[in-house]
Amino acid sequence: MSGAGGKRWLCAAVMAALALQWCAVRWDFNRYYLGVAVDAGINVILAVSLNLINGHTGQFSLGHAGFMAVGGYTAAKLTLVLGGGCPSWAQPALFLGGLLCGGMLAALVGLAVGLPTLRLRGDYLAIVTLGFGEIIRVVFQNSEFFGAATGLTGIPNWTHLGWTCGFAALTVYAILSVVDSTYGRGFPAVRDNEVAAAASGINPVRYKVSAFVVGAFFAGVAGGLYAHHKTVLNPTGFDFLKSIDIVVMVILGGMGRTAGVVAAAVLLTLLPELLRGFAEYRMILYALLIILLMLLRPQGLFNFGPSTRA
Amino acid sequence: MDGVTLRFGGLMALAGLDLRVEEGEILGLIGPNGAGTTSAFNLVTGVYAPGEGDIRLAGQSTVGLLPHELASRGIARTFQNIRLFGSLSVLDNVRVAVASRQHGGFWNALWRGRAFHAGERAAEVEAMDLLSLFGLERQSATLASGLPYGDQRRLELARAPALRPRLLLLDAPAAGMNPTEKAALAELIRFIRQKFQLAVLLVEHDMPVVMGLCERIVVLDHGVKIAEGTPAQVRVHPQVIEAYLGAEPAHA
Repeated sequence: MSGAGGKRWLCAAVMAALALQWCAVRWDFNRYYLGVAVDAGINVILAVSLNLINGHTGQFSLGHAGFMAVGGYTAAKLTLVLGGGCPSWAQPALFLGGLLCGGMLAALVGLAVGLPTLRLRGDYLAIVTLGFGEIIRVVFQNSEFFGAATGLTGIPNWTHLGWTCGFAALTVYAILSVVDSTYGRGFPAVRDNEVAAAASGINPVRYKVSAFVVGAFFAGVAGGLYAHHKTVLNPTGFDFLKSIDIVVMVILGGMGRTAGVVAAAVLLTLLPELLRGFAEYRMILYALLIILLMLLRPQGLFNFGPSTRA
Repeated sequence: MDGVTLRFGGLMALAGLDLRVEEGEILGLIGPNGAGTTSAFNLVTGVYAPGEGDIRLAGQSTVGLLPHELASRGIARTFQNIRLFGSLSVLDNVRVAVASRQHGGFWNALWRGRAFHAGERAAEVEAMDLLSLFGLERQSATLASGLPYGDQRRLELARAPALRPRLLLLDAPAAGMNPTEKAALAELIRFIRQKFQLAVLLVEHDMPVVMGLCERIVVLDHGVKIAEGTPAQVRVHPQVIEAYLGAEPAHA
């Protein structure tokens, strides 16, 4: 991806997202399909941002749902508090502000988690991030301010296809352009050999924490989009199964392969919907299909070449 | 390195070692297994911190600096067991080291302004130059993990000067090489020293290589310096022969 081309591509993608949204309103697209498309977009953001942590940097985070919860609750609370007296023309600005605040707060939490977990790797890091994700969920569950176990309700339904696809494009652009640079190759360098990376003047701590902060930021934004899509937030939606869902998308797409991870996120959003016809067997089939995909393409769904790019 | 002591629990790995590498020289650091050569290496590169004593680079103490900070201050190294970035291309292996000297980083990469592209081009040109010096330019696009052993060693040597170091530490670079390759390696090390104007600290267990290459040799045994001098002096030093080379003197 060349530089100017990248930025132009991002603009085109955001335009296309907005045009798509306009069409959806103009011709009154099926709401169910639109809802699934928004889900897919949110999952793309989550999976691509987790891919920076788990794929490119080679850490094993199981706490992505926690970052998502921080962003979701922040954005939703901001909307609920400030949205009442907000004229309709200012709503997009408020929404955008809420999403960014949520993202930044999640990034801050990412920093807090990233720093102490630096000495850990592999399974140990996974356990710590898992525990952290659960702590966040339990904090929300017990905080009256955030609606405790009932969660937040009555969040306006502001997330539409334009927002989602726009932010998905922004996430893909941001992560790709950072990773595809000499600066960004420090991430796989730290993953491949931390000792050699340090001996080559690369600060492994900075890279690992950066991955957590950037990944958490986008997870937070995804959380805000999710909150304004579902219109209700409830702590159980951010349990560790959600984190595992995202990890599965990354593994299925191929660690460190952005294109594959995007495809896997879309596929794994559509799959349970397509399997609705099988009613109670749905989740069994879903699990079986994932096992099958893993057996057939253990290197990742879209991992064809030896390149680490894209 | 002045009076440096390193302890692991009750084990004294290095006891009051004094070591000085002059500008532009090739200093050999040898000793039997467990003599403390690798520990000395790890002290200089910041992997361990000394319990006592001081380590200075060009007069400034480096005690307490982390490995990557020492690398950016001009200490480059290779490893006994080759450490490359296996999933990166040969070019990228050198390029990340070149780029570690650049500033900007994250936001630059995100924004992709003019300065970013200039930096990327400069890093690529510099990395390609290094690769061609080491005869690796044809493999620049292959993954480092796919290189044959000898090329991996050379790639590690090509990555080190990317830091523009003043001191290059080589940990057993001749390990696993045949005599022809060893001769080529010695030539290459001399060339690096001359081309990049740096000092070399060499840990090596292959005596012909050490004797042929080094201007000065320091011999360690049980963490203590037992001899220091030119190869000719060290070779006939009775304590060295006893501790390290056995009954027979080494064949150079």
